[in-house]
Amino acid sequence: MRGRAARRVLRGLPPLLPVLAGVLLWGLWRAGELPGGASRVGAEVTARPGDWVLAAGALATVVLLLGALRRRRARVARERALRAVAAQGAGDRQRLVGRLDHELKNPLTAIRLALANLAADDPRPQQAAGLRSIEEQVLRLSRLTTDLRKIADVETSRLDTTDVDVTALLEEALEVVGEQPRAAGRTLRLDAPRAPWPLPRVQGDADLLVLAFVNLVDNAVKYTADGATVEVRARESGPDVLVEVADTGHGISADDLPHVWEELFRSQQARAVPGSGLGLPFVRAVVHRHGGSVTADSREGEGTVVRVVLPVRQPAEA
Amino acid sequence: MPTILLADDESAITDNLAPLLRRAGYEVVVTSDGRQALDGIRAHAPDLVVLDVMMPGLDGRAVLRTLRAERRSTPVILLTQVGESSERAMALEEGADDYLNKPFDPQELIARIRAVLRRGAASGGGLGQSPRLRSGTVVLDRVSQRVSRDGRDVVLTPRATALLAYLMTHPDEVMTRERLLEAVWGWTFQTSTRSVDTRVAELRRELEVDSGDPQLITTVLGTGYRFSGRVESA
Repeated sequence: MRGRAARRVLRGLPPLLPVLAGVLLWGLWRAGELPGGASRVGAEVTARPGDWVLAAGALATVVLLLGALRRRRARVARERALRAVAAQGAGDRQRLVGRLDHELKNPLTAIRLALANLAADDPRPQQAAGLRSIEEQVLRLSRLTTDLRKIADVETSRLDTTDVDVTALLEEALEVVGEQPRAAGRTLRLDAPRAPWPLPRVQGDADLLVLAFVNLVDNAVKYTADGATVEVRARESGPDVLVEVADTGHGISADDLPHVWEELFRSQQARAVPGSGLGLPFVRAVVHRHGGSVTADSREGEGTVVRVVLPVRQPAEA
Repeated sequence: MPTILLADDESAITDNLAPLLRRAGYEVVVTSDGRQALDGIRAHAPDLVVLDVMMPGLDGRAVLRTLRAERRSTPVILLTQVGESSERAMALEEGADDYLNKPFDPQELIARIRAVLRRGAASGGGLGQSPRLRSGTVVLDRVSQRVSRDGRDVVLTPRATALLAYLMTHPDEVMTRERLLEAVWGWTFQTSTRSVDTRVAELRRELEVDSGDPQLITTVLGTGYRFSGRVESA
């Protein structure tokens, strides 16, 4: 606390330096410590040279402060405009995704019904194989619309909020993913504080949060090779709980990294692994719904870390 | 042969669903909007109605409300479109007997139809439309979403209450975890079936005499759960 206050004072110092220098010089002139001592320089000049330095310093300080203030204001305005554009873009995309999901439902239902009728008609073997193939693809599309709907649902539906033990959720997520065959050969580790006190409980929807963590751990397992390590770390951080899911996997290229939160985005490297491109957007939707934030950092060939910040207390519902 | 009235404005749905239901052994009456559905129900007195929520004019929920206001207890299965959890909760509160999200598995719809018809025949219907349900000493008030045991209020999470409501309105039916997830949570994630186990554990802890030997919510090994207690309107 004290360290932070001291740093804030230090950060405010540079613009004040000229005026401080002026005060110092003025004091030295007065004390006769500088060449010329306390003697007057000329009859027309009523102020001591130190006074001039002081005045110039003050002027420079005012100019510097005004400049800094103007730059700060411009930056704040620019950031606000950017955020508004981003929010508008996100809203548009959400609406598009919602409509797409809506428009796909009836055709998909009709196709599934038609297939069920055809399959009941005792088709010849070759036709039956064709029907099965169509059915598999329709199921794939159905899952896609369900996942899209799930994201939209998280953004709008009511949270079932309780006091959640994040450590227990992380243990559960690691257990659920650890049971999957693809987790074989990976080391899954959880590092959560127990001393001097455990993580504070977080207000949230346990079912949604555990799904988000399962998604992150599952991703870490999916995009790593045999022998890799997946480390889940949790820490208390001021008013938040910070969860990191880190892996020693393939990593994500710098070009792709900003896009991993977009619906249906799949990077070139990820295409070799089955997936919908909806896992991370779902995670983001869950975390945002809890008033938190999520970011990712990655180095190709070294691995990825996803950081989830969850506020301990939920902001009041708008 | 039981008669099913089908109401959906999408002919692609009714054209394919009607033959499927006929094949499953039902007479089918097809209608294409809410007004027609109401007239059809009054004229044919079907054994069950499959009702799409999103229809032009009178939508599925308005049809359902009108039916219940007229004190008709015809079982209704809603085909929900918006898929929002609020819509699912409302569907049950307004007296739907079950609901499925589009796009649904055709076999799942037939299974739901059979279960609703069987339940109706066994209990004389009405559980889905009853505001208060009782099983032994456990009472669920579906309007206020409150649960009591031995006359004392039990504090449950909203999702556990919703799960209890769904199980109690479908007694003796084997429910897979996936079905419960879809019906109560509104999503089916392969890895999320544990959420069901967690809520069932919560319900057992609060409602069973001995949670280690449950009598109300029993486990169907390898499948899911079943509400095994006798349920009646209270």
